[in-house]
Order: sequence, then C-alpha cells, then structure tokens
Amino acid sequence: MAGAMSEILSFVATFFLIICFSVSLFQMRYFIRKYEGINGNHVLLSTIQFTSCLFAFLILIYAFLTSNFDFQLVYSNSHTDKPLLYKLSGTWGNHEGSLLMWILILTIFNFFYSIKSSSDIKLRNKIVANQSLLILGFVSFCLLMSSPFILMKGNFSQGLGLNPILQDPLLAIHPPILYFGYVGFSLVFSFAIAGMLNNQVNKEWASALKPWILIAWVFLTLGIALGSFWAYYELGWGGFWFWDPVENASLMPWLSATALLHCIMVLEKRNMFQSWTILLSILTFSLSLVGTFLVRSGILNSVHTFASDPGRGLFILLFLAIVLLFSFGLFASKGSSLEKSNSFAAVSRESGILVNNWLLLTILFIVFLGTIYPLFIDLIFEKSLTVGPQYYVVTIAPIVFLLLIFMTITPFISWAKGSISQTIIKIKYSSILSLTLAFAISLYFDLFSITQIIILFLSFSLIITSLFSGIQVSKSNIIVKSILGKTLSHAGFGLFILSVIANATYSEEKIYDAKIKDILEINGHKFVFEKINHVEGENYNSIQAVFNLQEDNKVVEQFMPEIRFYNDPPTATSETSILYGLFSDIYIVMNVPQYQDSISVRIHVKPFMNFIWLSVFMIIIGGVLSIIYRIKN
Amino acid sequence: MTRTVKNRLIKILLSLLILIVAVLIIIFNLRDNIVYFYTPTELERIDISEKKIMRVGGLVKKDSIKNDGSKNFSFIITDNTNEINVDFQGILPNLFAEEKGVVVEGSYVQENLFRANKVLAKHDENYMPPEVVNALKDDGKWQGQ
Repeated sequence: MAGAMSEILSFVATFFLIICFSVSLFQMRYFIRKYEGINGNHVLLSTIQFTSCLFAFLILIYAFLTSNFDFQLVYSNSHTDKPLLYKLSGTWGNHEGSLLMWILILTIFNFFYSIKSSSDIKLRNKIVANQSLLILGFVSFCLLMSSPFILMKGNFSQGLGLNPILQDPLLAIHPPILYFGYVGFSLVFSFAIAGMLNNQVNKEWASALKPWILIAWVFLTLGIALGSFWAYYELGWGGFWFWDPVENASLMPWLSATALLHCIMVLEKRNMFQSWTILLSILTFSLSLVGTFLVRSGILNSVHTFASDPGRGLFILLFLAIVLLFSFGLFASKGSSLEKSNSFAAVSRESGILVNNWLLLTILFIVFLGTIYPLFIDLIFEKSLTVGPQYYVVTIAPIVFLLLIFMTITPFISWAKGSISQTIIKIKYSSILSLTLAFAISLYFDLFSITQIIILFLSFSLIITSLFSGIQVSKSNIIVKSILGKTLSHAGFGLFILSVIANATYSEEKIYDAKIKDILEINGHKFVFEKINHVEGENYNSIQAVFNLQEDNKVVEQFMPEIRFYNDPPTATSETSILYGLFSDIYIVMNVPQYQDSISVRIHVKPFMNFIWLSVFMIIIGGVLSIIYRIKN
Repeated sequence: MTRTVKNRLIKILLSLLILIVAVLIIIFNLRDNIVYFYTPTELERIDISEKKIMRVGGLVKKDSIKNDGSKNFSFIITDNTNEINVDFQGILPNLFAEEKGVVVEGSYVQENLFRANKVLAKHDENYMPPEVVNALKDDGKWQGQ
C-alpha cells in the first residue's frame, strides 16, 4: 500500500484541481447576459485558478524529485539513478504530466490577461469566461481520464525509467516552451469567440490581441527551433528537419499563426479582414490542439511517437470536434455581420499581405495533406504508406519563391492604393545590389543554373531591403522604430532560405568501417582513429571512439562520438560529436560494433548550419522586439 | 450584367482556376512520393518486377544476420509466415537486433532479394512500428499488450 504521506499528497493535489474546476465554472457565468457587464472579482479568481494549478503541478514535481514510486506516473517514468534535471523533466515527459502542464499554462495566460486586461469590461469578461471554459474542459479530462495523481497498488522501490533519448538538457526545456506557444493561442481563440459574441471585431480588438499573438508566436518558433536543434545533434541523422508527422504537427500552427500575425495588422490599421482574422484565430488554436495531442495519442506514425493510447486520442478528437463545431457555428451566424466594407486597390499593402496569407496557407495545406493522407488511407483502405520528404520539398519550393518576392515588395507598397512604379523606385538600389551579389557569388562558385541565380537574387533582395529599411528607421522616433522587429524577422527569413538551400546543396556524408589507426578522409579533412575509451556516466556506460582531426600532421581537433548504454530501460543511444564551425559543421556519429570487428562511422560535413540557427534566432528576436516596442508605446 | 458583377465573376473564376491547378499539382506530387508498406506475406501478392521504392517490415529472423566484416549486412525479415532476404550497406541503427521489429526502405533487385537503402531507427526497445504490430496481430503472432 502507498504510504500515508503519498495518500495525502495525491488527495491535496486532486483537491487543488477540483478548486480550479469550480472557480472556472464560476468564471463562466460571464457568458450569461445578466453578468456580462458586471465587474466581478476576475483578477482574484484568475489568481486562484492559476495558483491551484501551480500547487498541483508543484506536488507532481515534488513526487518526481523525491522519486516517490507510490505514484503510478513516477513509477512508469522515473528512476532513482536519474540525474536531477531529468527527474524534473520527467514530470512533463509523459502524457499525464504534460496535460497538467498544459492546464497550468492555460491558467497562466488567463492570469496575465486578467491583470493586464483592457478597459472594455464586456469583452474582457467574455474572454475570461471562454478561457475558463477551456480550463474546465481540460481539468475534467485530467481528473476523469488521465490523472497524474493515481497511486500504485503495492510497494515499489524502483521505477521503470525515462527513455534515454529524452535525457537531454535541451529536450528538458523544449516541451514547456513549445507548450507556451501552443497554449498561447488559446487566448487568441478566446479573443475570437468573445469578439464574435460581442460583435466587436475592430481596431481596438485587434490592438489588444496582437501582443498575445506575438508572444505565443515567439514561443512556438523558439520551441520548434529547439526541437529541431535537438534532432540535429541527438538523432544523428545529419539533418535538422525530416518532414516527420510530429514535426509537421508543430509547423502547421506556426504557418497559420504567421498568417494571422500579418492579417491582424490589416485589421488594426485599416479595419478590414474581420472574418479572415477570426477564421485564422480558430484555425491556429485547432492546429495547436492537434499538434499537442495527436503527437501523444499514437495516431500519427512517427519516429517521435513514444507512448500511445488511442483512447486519449479519441477524447482530443472529440474535444477538437466540439471546438470546431462551436466556433464555426458561431462564425456562420455572426461572420457576415463582422465584415466592414473597406475597399482597397489591387496594388496595395492589403493585397500584398492577402497574397502572402494565401501562400502561407497553401504551404499549410501541403503539409496537412502529406501528414493526414497516410492516416486517411490507413483508415479507409487499411493500407500503410508514408509520404517521402521529396513531396514537401518539391511542392513547397516554388511557393517559397513567391513568398520571398511578396515579402520583399509588400512592405514598400502603400496602404489602400499603392503604385508599382513608386515601389520599384523605393527598392531599386537594393535590387541592383542583390542582383550584383547574386551574379558575383554564382561566378565565384561556378553556379550557372537559372534557379540558383534566382534563389540567390530573391533571398538577397529580401535580406538587403529589410536590413536597409531597418537601418533607416532605427534613427527615427519610437513609433516608426517599432517596425525594426519586422525588418529583422524578414531578413532572418531570407537568410534562412538561403542557408537551408546552400546546406542542402553542399552537405556531404561518408560512411566508413574504421579500425584503430585508420585514416578517414572527407572533403580534404583527415581523421585518425586514435582509440576506444570506456566511460562510466551517471546512469549509463559508454563506448567512446576518439578521432583526431589532423592538419599538417598536427592534431587540431578531437572528436569523441559515443554510444551510451542505459540500463533502465535497456537502451543504447548514439551521441554525436560535432565541431561547430563558422561556415561548416563537422559531425561524427558512430555505431555499436555489434556484428563486426571494426566500428561503423558516419562523417557529415554540414555547411551553413550556423547560419540556419542564426537566421531562426533573428526571426525570434524580431518577434521579441515587436513585443517590446508594443509595450513601450 | 453590370460591370462590377462581371468583374467579380471573373475574379472568382480565376481564383477557382488557380486553386484547382494548385491542388492538382500538389496531389500529383503527393502520388509520386508515396512509399507503400508491405509485410513479407503481402509481398507475395504484389508485382515486384517494377523497381518501386517500398517499405517492408517485420521481425529480424533469429540467426539470420550476416556481415562480411565490413559495412555489408544481410538478414531476413519474417512475419512468421513468409520471409524475405534483405541486404544493406551502411550503419545499422543501435536498436537493430534479432527477433525485434524492423522496417526497411528500398527496392527489389531480384526475386526474393530486397536491397534496403534505409533501415529505420527507433526510439526505444519496446517501440514497434504500428504496421508491424498490425501485421503481427493479423497473423495472430502478436505477443505484446
């Protein structure tokens, strides 16, 4: 039997969740007409929602840190030998714990919204009510179907352990950050519902909503970037994006959120695109739901799928269906009355943004189709298949070119009615500069294909025009300066496309069988296989191969790829050894010498990886800058 | 028909046309890049003369792994009913082992010899590709939960 202390902890934690449930139910009274205008104690109540979830979560963390195996969840996901950080991250490294974290973040957003909220009481009340409705739904799911506080029957002194591949510092913080992104869009969704209910989707509504979109978007971007960086050094496949269903599931809300981020600008400046903004808000949150939960449900066939439980997937699908039915039903009845007619010419900033929105949604559709098609065929025809990465690359590439063009020119077209000739005048110098650069580089590297020159030209145009306008406004007053974030993000995107393509073109990979003292060569680099070490880690043993990178008979760098053998659960993982160079990474992975005397080694030369990370960083910092300027104004 | 209505009609038709073309391009591209999954038993029924890329999954047969001392491997994938010879050059994933689930991607080089260019990695020792689980369940050979 579980100890008395555990019984108390489990009871108290469940009790906290019930408090949160009741308060959320009470906050939902704002949906009723009688209460919609009253100034209730929403700050106090949101604080209670937040703190009660926080305490429940802290109890779970405590159970994990103390390796309290009376808790079923701790027993199945932890082990006393685990380093402290992974005991902590084990809290959210499983379905139940991550669900509790999802609820906690829901209440965090509700709490911060409540204390920062606008002067419009009716709108605020509806938003708080809708946010509480979401909290209520997820707390019920947690309590009824996936409580993290269920106790074991019987005594266990040791747990089953956490999947070693998840035992990585980056992967410890990746889920919380990604969740802040996903869950941030719940508030966007609540804004959309409240706006429709109150019939006030207007400039003020957009101004109040925009910072929240930015915050969620920054977290989501950062979360995806961290996940991708982890895949790069941990999975040892040499890539950073595999078009895997789980990766796609996080990319889809990002695409729709990025579209939303742009169209809300039109709403804020010109009071138009009301229904489009609402649609994108609902879509983004729905895709976030899909992104979070289908990943853990096991429905998606992915290398990233860990635990699977179709029953829970069903609940999420049901919840998603309700969200969609409810919000689209509301949209159908209110949508047409939201739209304010406000005309714009074919050549205008509005059209440019609209086109970009469509391009982003086309990419979204492509990704969606590729991800969902195998599921669909499996359900209907019971035939298993996968969609190759080539599908995504080939279909998305032309759209990215168009995206680059529109991203370059749209910021230079005036609102309402612009002119092509004026836009050309504004970007003529940077275009000439980009064209020169593109030709210079293609001459230098002997690239003469039209596509390559076009890619170079388009990416450089975007980078240079963005940077130029960034430099121009950096000396102006604070209101003009607020577009600095945008210019940085756009330049980052240009650099991203450029480095991704360069990376794909110039990456090299070689596989060797290596015996000690062998010399391996790739791209003019010489590696000498020195020796094999046996290393004992905190909760694993490992075989480590030592390679010396030599130049002129001198050792310039030592590579030590490893294979780690964990006992709980019994698993082996490859640890890559990477030399991060300014222009090119060198990346070594080894494999268990299972069936042969020599070891298998794979050496990758990955150019421009640092530029990829840098560009993503620029995109994120751009978002952060926008938030800061927004708060300052 | 007034001028504005006519204009609007043209716009709508044009966007519809672009939309249809885009969707068609996407779908054709998708069809070109689909890789089907088969179990050894299912392979018996399909035409292997065309050298299409496909995935095959099942269990690695006991005592079937052979290696030439270098990076050339051959092994047998079985679903306990039928089996297929696979050869592979490269690095096997860490969790590749006898009597464990495996999925390979590649194509036939001759009758009953499948050349894998990828052996798919997995994350933990109990994880089995859902296709393999289903295949084993269909054959009544499934021993898991």
